[in-house]
Amino acid sequence: MIHLENISVEYRLKSERVQALRNLNLHVREGSFEAIMGPSGSGKTTLIQLIAGLLTPTAGEVIVSGENLSRLGDEKISSFRNRTIGFVFQFFNLPNYYTAVDNAALPLVFAGVDERTRRLRARTLLAEFGLQDRLDHKPDQLSGGEAQRVAIARALINNPKIILADEPTGNLDRDTGGHVMELLQKINRERGVTVLMVTHDEKAAGFAQRIIRIEKGELV
Amino acid sequence: MIRRRDYLLLTTQKLALRKKRAVFAIISVALGVIVVVTANSLLEGVRDVAVKTIWTEEIDPDLIRVYAGENPYELLPPEEGPKQKAKKRIEYLSEAVFDEIRGWPGVEAADRPVVVQPVSVNGFDKRPRGVSEFQGVPEPMLLRYIADRALVTANSNAIPLVVGERNVRLRFDEERGKLESDPGGEKAWLGREVMILLGDNYARITRFQYDYNKREFKPLSEDEVVSQHDTMERNFRVQYDTVVFNTTLTLKGRIVGFCPGNKVLIPLETAELCEKWINQRNRLASRNPARETSEVIYGERGRRTPKTGEYTEGAVLVKKGANIEAIAKRIEEMGFSVVTRARMFEDQARAFDSSMRIVKKVAFAFGGLILGLACGLVWSTTSKTVSDSRTDIGLFRALGATKREIRRLFLGEAMLQGVLGTVVGMVLGWGLALAISHWVIGFARRSIYEPEEALLIPNSIFSMNLRFCLLLIGGAALVSLLAGLLPANRAANVDPVKALKRE
Ligand SMILES: Nc1ncnc2c1ncn2[C@@H]1O[C@H](COP(=O)(O)OP(=O)(O)O)[C@@H](O)[C@H]1O
Ligand SMILES: [Mg+2]
Repeated sequence: MIHLENISVEYRLKSERVQALRNLNLHVREGSFEAIMGPSGSGKTTLIQLIAGLLTPTAGEVIVSGENLSRLGDEKISSFRNRTIGFVFQFFNLPNYYTAVDNAALPLVFAGVDERTRRLRARTLLAEFGLQDRLDHKPDQLSGGEAQRVAIARALINNPKIILADEPTGNLDRDTGGHVMELLQKINRERGVTVLMVTHDEKAAGFAQRIIRIEKGELV
Repeated sequence: MIRRRDYLLLTTQKLALRKKRAVFAIISVALGVIVVVTANSLLEGVRDVAVKTIWTEEIDPDLIRVYAGENPYELLPPEEGPKQKAKKRIEYLSEAVFDEIRGWPGVEAADRPVVVQPVSVNGFDKRPRGVSEFQGVPEPMLLRYIADRALVTANSNAIPLVVGERNVRLRFDEERGKLESDPGGEKAWLGREVMILLGDNYARITRFQYDYNKREFKPLSEDEVVSQHDTMERNFRVQYDTVVFNTTLTLKGRIVGFCPGNKVLIPLETAELCEKWINQRNRLASRNPARETSEVIYGERGRRTPKTGEYTEGAVLVKKGANIEAIAKRIEEMGFSVVTRARMFEDQARAFDSSMRIVKKVAFAFGGLILGLACGLVWSTTSKTVSDSRTDIGLFRALGATKREIRRLFLGEAMLQGVLGTVVGMVLGWGLALAISHWVIGFARRSIYEPEEALLIPNSIFSMNLRFCLLLIGGAALVSLLAGLLPANRAANVDPVKALKRE
């Protein structure tokens, strides 16, 4: 499903060069649930962004779902992100001018789905996540856990093959974080969606089938 | 692929987030558009009014005015003092000349107009009003203005009058004492009685009695005049003047139609009678000599006094479909001056149009300047939206929006401001133009005293040019598109990785 071959990512800052990833090889099977752990600045987010095609590696190849991402143009890679990838962020990233339904339905706007269908699918999914009473709430009227569930609904709305979650529990307390993890696990098990999750939390990582450890841009 | 409807939704949402700024940009676009639209929708109307009211010399498209030798209207009045020698011998018009012209194909009528001055007409208003002149014209010409032919030929002593504009229906507003045009009214203006005063307005002594059988005025006896004179002297002792001997002839007339220009047209025959009466009266008045008056236009122009049977002016009426300019040229070749509508009026209209074009250009330049500033505002608003939306742009990109879609989104926002501003400006501009039109028309109505001139004032000088409006909206869309180009490109090139970073 995900193949990273000899990946290097180098950031250039004026005179300095920051090697974010170094000769990294990673293979993730379809339908697996894997956690990426490592200290801050070790290159976890960079890794996620590579897989989403938001970043091109300095060297090496990223092949996701059979597509060599560096060979795709903007249209194709955008469509790939829209259909294949679902994002969950640490800080939710839910625009405050949209209600929970509209936030969850946002990827469908870029997929060209009409408004009625969009809303219907978002409502169904949010209800499934226990948010049937929060449909028309704005993000700032939701608790952290609720907001993250809306974000997960958004990640899932277009039936992606992969969910990339960058510290999804980083901004939540223990219990709420646990619920979010259960939700991700349920999605992985029931829908067969590959979940790749960055986390600092050993307990959260416990939900994963495999833990990938990274340090200074290299797998350990 | 974002749906078209969603583009609109997303852009309006974005604009709604920056209400103040957007409103400011939209208002400034509207301001520029107001200037342009107001100017555009009024200038046409102003031209129309000017054409109708300024050039009272306007003549019909199928009429040729013929002048002996030179156009007398272009001559300076004879100077006092040393005698001026005419440099050019003047060819006078005569019956023979008219006969020849009458024989040409395409000519309906050719005759001398009998011009009687001064004349005042009572009945348009409470008070008698001066009319520039009283003109006897060939019957075919008169008939063109008359809806009911019987009115001219009817067995009545009334003089049919043709005044003002053709095809205008009138109603006399008793309260305001003014003639009003009334498009809905039935031919209410027809048969309206008017009083025509030939001669001096001050003179009120009746000196003539109308003989119905002979259809002419007879002077009253000396005794009767003297007794009237005495009564007048008693009543108007202060105002008494030798001028009272410049007698007034009171005739009855009726309005039968309207012709262009500030002229009263009457049958040639009637005009000749009036001329005769005025001559009679002049002879009578000269027994008690008053200051000399020149009521008949003949003899006024320099040393040149036509003999009997010679005329300084003529009017040639052309048949429908005939080539008026060719006939005019032919008359010119006979040694006379001619004036046609194409030569006089249309030249002036063209001159007026060209000066209007300058006014238009200035207004458009001014509007363009404001629009330029508005363009800058649209640019800065869109710019600001882009910088404020970086996180959202990053998110949209992560969720599958392409660069092109992001660019279109912000271009749409710029365009929305431009088009919205234009539409708002257009509506306000029309409103303003309508208000100005209303005010101008009201002002004109109040300040014009000649009722027949007031008739020529339209109800509105406002006009709406749909093509121009579409062009304006299209132009605004294009300009705001250009204004949005740079910010939209900036938005499309936002790096989602950096935009989503939060540490
Ligand atoms: N846009 C960037 N420009 C320069 N350096 C960057 C940029 N993004 C990340 N880095 C650097 O790359 C390294 C890895 O960053 P990141 O993947 O965000 O780490 P993590 O998510 O594991 O904390 C860090 O040293 C960080 O400073
Ligand atoms: Mg990180």
